Amino acid sequence: MAIEVGRICMKIAGRDAGNFCVIVKKINDNFVLVTGPKILTGVRRRRVNIRHIQELPYKIEIKEDASDKEVLDAWEKSGLIKKLGLKKPHISKVKEMEKEESKEEKKVKRKKKKK
Amino acid sequence: MAKRKVKVRVATRTVTRIVRKTPKIARCAICGRPLHGIPRNVRKLSKSEKRVSRKYGGYLCSKCARELIKKEIYEKFG
Repeated sequence: MAIEVGRICMKIAGRDAGNFCVIVKKINDNFVLVTGPKILTGVRRRRVNIRHIQELPYKIEIKEDASDKEVLDAWEKSGLIKKLGLKKPHISKVKEMEKEESKEEKKVKRKKKKK
Repeated sequence: MAKRKVKVRVATRTVTRIVRKTPKIARCAICGRPLHGIPRNVRKLSKSEKRVSRKYGGYLCSKCARELIKKEIYEKFG
């Protein structure tokens, strides 16, 4: 039950306490990058202190720093959505999520060009 | 809110003044510590202003809520 990429855990503090989330990237020994994704579990992609999450005995296969879309696909493949009693998001919601992500990628590219 | 009559001396005569009592501080249901973020006079406020936007917000303090969620996890997932 270690803190590793793909580990499913539950937030125990903060506004979204009691929601499931997936560890996407280890920032340092105190902080990890976590995402729900938001449309599935209500936890948005954010940096979280490991003391505010409690890991669970479940794991999904995602590569390091995966995008929310890949995390969602991994959720579906692992079949944990039904097991943990979560609701599959509507397709229109998934499209919205992709649009937002593409917007963010453009922003990052623009920043790189400016340097 | 409860009203209270107070006798106040004003220059030559005493006057009874009606003073409203403010309600007690909200307390955690398990440990009894005062809760943060909850105003004292609560009657006219909307629902979200009366509680904290966290699971068990306005009912348990953050520490007890954290322990309770951990306990739920151990029971459910072992």
